[in-house]
Amino acid sequence: MKRSICATAGAFLLALSLFPSTAFPVLYIDINAPGGKRMPIAVADVALGRGDPSLSRGIPKILSDDLALTDLFDLVPPTAHMETVTGAHFSGRPLSFPGWKMIGAEAVVIGLADVRGDRLSLEMRLYDATQGTLLLGKRYTGTPDQLRSIVHRFANEIVYTFTGVRGVFGTEIAFTARSGKSRGKELYIVGMDGQDLRKVTDNRSFNLFPRWSPDGQWLAYTSFRTGTPAVYLRNVSTGAEKEVVRTGGSKAPGGFSPDGVWLYAGVSQAGNSDIYRVRVVGGASEKVVEGWGLDVSPAPSPDGRRIAFVSDRGGSPQIYVKTIGVAGETRISTGAGYATSPSWSPAGDRIAYTSRSGGRFLVATVAPDGSGSREVASATDGDCEDPSFSPDGRSLVYTFRKRGYSALKIISLDGRRQRTLVSGLEDAGSPAWSPGR
Amino acid sequence: MKGTFSWKWAVLALSVAALVATGCAKKQTVKSEGTQGDTGAASAPSVGEAPVKEAPPVRPPSDQLASSAQAGVAVTEEKPSQFDDVRFDFDKSELTEDGRRTSQAVADYMKKNPKAKLLVEGHCDERGTAEYNLALGERRATAVMTYLVSLGVPKGALSTVSFGKEKPLDPGHGEGAWAKNRRAHFVLK
Repeated sequence: MKRSICATAGAFLLALSLFPSTAFPVLYIDINAPGGKRMPIAVADVALGRGDPSLSRGIPKILSDDLALTDLFDLVPPTAHMETVTGAHFSGRPLSFPGWKMIGAEAVVIGLADVRGDRLSLEMRLYDATQGTLLLGKRYTGTPDQLRSIVHRFANEIVYTFTGVRGVFGTEIAFTARSGKSRGKELYIVGMDGQDLRKVTDNRSFNLFPRWSPDGQWLAYTSFRTGTPAVYLRNVSTGAEKEVVRTGGSKAPGGFSPDGVWLYAGVSQAGNSDIYRVRVVGGASEKVVEGWGLDVSPAPSPDGRRIAFVSDRGGSPQIYVKTIGVAGETRISTGAGYATSPSWSPAGDRIAYTSRSGGRFLVATVAPDGSGSREVASATDGDCEDPSFSPDGRSLVYTFRKRGYSALKIISLDGRRQRTLVSGLEDAGSPAWSPGR
Repeated sequence: MKGTFSWKWAVLALSVAALVATGCAKKQTVKSEGTQGDTGAASAPSVGEAPVKEAPPVRPPSDQLASSAQAGVAVTEEKPSQFDDVRFDFDKSELTEDGRRTSQAVADYMKKNPKAKLLVEGHCDERGTAEYNLALGERRATAVMTYLVSLGVPKGALSTVSFGKEKPLDPGHGEGAWAKNRRAHFVLK
């Protein structure tokens, strides 16, 4: 992973070095500058070998929709485009860059698609229109039903090229919602763009607390399908399952260690919940946190050395951080009478959590040492709960509830941009953002 | 800024790189461009990237689906009870005076019917995090069970399960509904 990032950075530098040296910093987006300049970008209609003519517009639409989800780009509308991209542009004919510049584009994306039966090939290129240089070129091959995921991948490359941080297009959010007359809860998965919503379980019991494995292949969750709760691992692609925690009363998975070896969970024995970790392969378990209070919601840090968890040992639920294998825990939530559901940022520098204030629940973040607490999402007429970080650390997905209404929302960490991811499902909650792709 | 010096070197290095790369830049063939843009799939000398592998979703075996569904239907339903629920205050699992009275009636029945088996369900209102509520429900059910044992009910006749906030008795969203939903519910097995 590290190596490929270095290789990418190298390729990026090499590409940059094609500019005259005075132009070095031109095409770079500073993601940490609030209200920073957006990159004006044009995504041209895709040239087509064989295949459904609607792809010509369909592919740029997927890509443009992705880019529009960030606050990094201004998309030059297709109606303004003057040059038609053809196959010749992929075998030596230059684009008319002055024309693209004239309509305001500083970057141009072109593509060439070809579908032969069940084989899809797609070449995508990103140009710096101001310099007329190629910044990024990729040729993908796959099957036609992989089109969306291929375009998401190229969108991630574009974001990486301009920001140095990989995009999160094509990632997914697992969550729970009520389903059908049984009023059971099932697991669902939805794309981060709100597309491709699907039900994962269908057993008409309570299926709760989905947590992704670090490779994105498995979901750990609690199910009541046998009448009593147990924690299962489910392969997201195949539906294969295995039970990992059977003993104890109530039980809820909190998260996997970053190496995927351990699953952390809160498990009750004799009415008192403690934090355990269970070997995903083999099933051996050990107690990590114990005490008189209820200890639940263990969230491993990205380096695997610490966990954040919830305990009510002090009289009300609060967030604590503990170094694995070292005695003692530090309370990091302050003030509010109720702090739950911790989620670490991928960089390990913030912990998002739910806080209760004035009878309302809101989403805040805090440094792992308890300093610098900041509110991110709140509503005067409803509750914001259960945050989960995006793999790039720039956004949170959370639950919004207002009496009978519920929705999943995505908000940028600075609180400036938010959108509704899922609405219209009853009692949607417990969102968990998948690892990066 | 101390950056001035190193910037010169950076610019020089980049210029050298530019010289090296100029040959490629002039002749913008697919191959050379792809190499620049490639993010390093080690075995990809030209444009392009390993095929995107994404196995199509496979449905779980249908027999598993059917059996689990049958077992699950009952789980989500409120089971009738001849006993009143024991109610709790917000975020609390201690029995109130009312709760102890209700439990006494349950204990009397259990002692008169030594073969009876009783499941104590713990429930919470909709406020707060689901995981915490699941553990809180377990603590409520256990508190009631412990009290029943203290009243002389054999422990072997009792078991607990928590449904957290998942199974409200009253689906409403105010204190009236919440008060009914913070409860221990008794089910004779």
